[in-house]
Amino acid sequence: MLIGLMMMLLHTAAWGAVGCDLNEPDRDVKRFFPAMTNYKTEYFSVKRSGGETLYDLVQQRYGAKFTGIYETMDVPYTVYTVLKGKTIIGYIHGVNQKGHYGGLQVFLALDPKGTILQLYFQKMTGAYAGRFRDRAFGAQFAGLSLADFQYYDVATGRIPPNSKLNRINNPVPAAADDFNAALRGAKKNLILMDVFVFNRRGVAK
Amino acid sequence: MINIYQVAYKNLLRKKARSALTITGIALSAWVLVSLFGFNNGYEQSLNRDIDNLGYQLIVTAKGCPYEAATLMLKGGTGLRYLKENLANEIVKNREVEQVTPMLMQVVLDPNKGESGGLTAFLGVDPASYPPLKTFLKFEQGSWFKPDAQKEVVLGYEAAELEQREVGDIYLLPGKNIELKVAGILKRTGTQDDGTIFVPIKTLQQAFGRTGQVTGLGIKVAKDADIVKFEDKMYNLPDVQVVSLIQVKQTILNLVGTAKVMVLSIAIIAIVIALLGVINTVLMSVLERYQEIGILKSIGAMPLDIFRMVWTETLILCGIGSLVGIALALLLAQLSDLLIRRIIPYAPSGVLVQVDSSLMLFTLLIMVLIGLLGGIYPAWRAANIRPLEAIRTEGE
Repeated sequence: MLIGLMMMLLHTAAWGAVGCDLNEPDRDVKRFFPAMTNYKTEYFSVKRSGGETLYDLVQQRYGAKFTGIYETMDVPYTVYTVLKGKTIIGYIHGVNQKGHYGGLQVFLALDPKGTILQLYFQKMTGAYAGRFRDRAFGAQFAGLSLADFQYYDVATGRIPPNSKLNRINNPVPAAADDFNAALRGAKKNLILMDVFVFNRRGVAK
Repeated sequence: MINIYQVAYKNLLRKKARSALTITGIALSAWVLVSLFGFNNGYEQSLNRDIDNLGYQLIVTAKGCPYEAATLMLKGGTGLRYLKENLANEIVKNREVEQVTPMLMQVVLDPNKGESGGLTAFLGVDPASYPPLKTFLKFEQGSWFKPDAQKEVVLGYEAAELEQREVGDIYLLPGKNIELKVAGILKRTGTQDDGTIFVPIKTLQQAFGRTGQVTGLGIKVAKDADIVKFEDKMYNLPDVQVVSLIQVKQTILNLVGTAKVMVLSIAIIAIVIALLGVINTVLMSVLERYQEIGILKSIGAMPLDIFRMVWTETLILCGIGSLVGIALALLLAQLSDLLIRRIIPYAPSGVLVQVDSSLMLFTLLIMVLIGLLGGIYPAWRAANIRPLEAIRTEGE
């Protein structure tokens, strides 16, 4: 018992940048893709996929510098490839994003071509978090893809007038910070998926 | 003119494979020995550092109360029991006590963490007495709360990573809707502090309706105090349990001590085998050179010269073998560290196998001494060869 206590007291952590995994993948993957029969988990990092050059390119496409300790080059990203038999029916991928009151975990369920099926906040802090975590909010992102986010300005939160993003309603106007964080998170998520899965070279299609 | 060391060296080169195998045996023994002694040094130092890093040697909690975050999380945030905060005033009167710090652990179910909600643990600490006990904690950003601070929070490195907070950001106490300002983010420590969210104890007490209550009292005992006696004294307090980290450390050291004895036994066996290898090699070399040694003596070599020559061969074998073994131990220290971590019951953070110059010198001396002892018999046999008999034997 004493050893158990000691292990917990002096627990040695495996040091590394914090990633973003589904809390319960078996349950969560099924929730997004009820027809799935299996899924594959793969880990990517910008450092391993292309290093400094790719990191710069991702930031360039994103439209801002990554500054947080949750978006360093060595952050491990988990991509869940969802299968029905041997056919890929979609992907799930999450990124961390800074929210007003705490960390956000922004997950996207994508079809095999990279179009959003659903946005999901696995974690969000704030009295209004339930409104953003509501399925109805995430469903507004369905049908959007990376191209739709190309001209979204992550620094100012400005959405071009003719952009499809204008159709997304902020359920809590007072929580503009977290609404913008959702859009920023979705854009970062799509760029990384393009780099890791769809393009695999970090070059925009 | 060729000297005795050159003669000994050339003799060893005659049977290169045999000499190389003997050196390998000695090198492996030296490697095991250096690594073992290095582990002996490193483990205890790392464990002591981990214990010291806790800041206090005793924790007093209410009977049956889980007193730290991991246990609490495992129990789903339930089972907390409380002590009166003013018990600290009573404890601090003991002359064995250097400092007491009150702590309040609270766990909140955050419904917006995952599908079914997740637990977040908070540690309420006293801004005046807690930081001086944790002087080893360094800050990545910011600092501890101000002494009179109420609405501030300090995050361990991993907690800050997870919550993506930086100094000056707002952190919301889930479920309580209390906004706290991030005052500091700690550097990584490799301990549970990395995942801890520190809040001023008064704030946490008010937020959870636990004014005047604590879940634990951390006690720093004076250096000259008898901790065991003091621990017994603490048990006289009603309804408390005392967790002594010294006792925990001793238990770990005892357990690891068993592993050490096993490894030491293996090391001794390896050394004995290496010693027998040296004796065998040198003795065979002497017997093969029976006639040659006889001739050397017949042309004027004294028994002491022959003894020195053979003994020098042993010295060279052991010296080279030991140096190779020490180099191996240095090069493979990280690998040894990794292997040891896999087999021992508890490995503290930090370097487990600590090889320093005094340890290397000590091992070299031991191995050379053992080799020289092993070389006495072959050297004595060689020194006592009778020249005429040796020459005649060869002739026959």
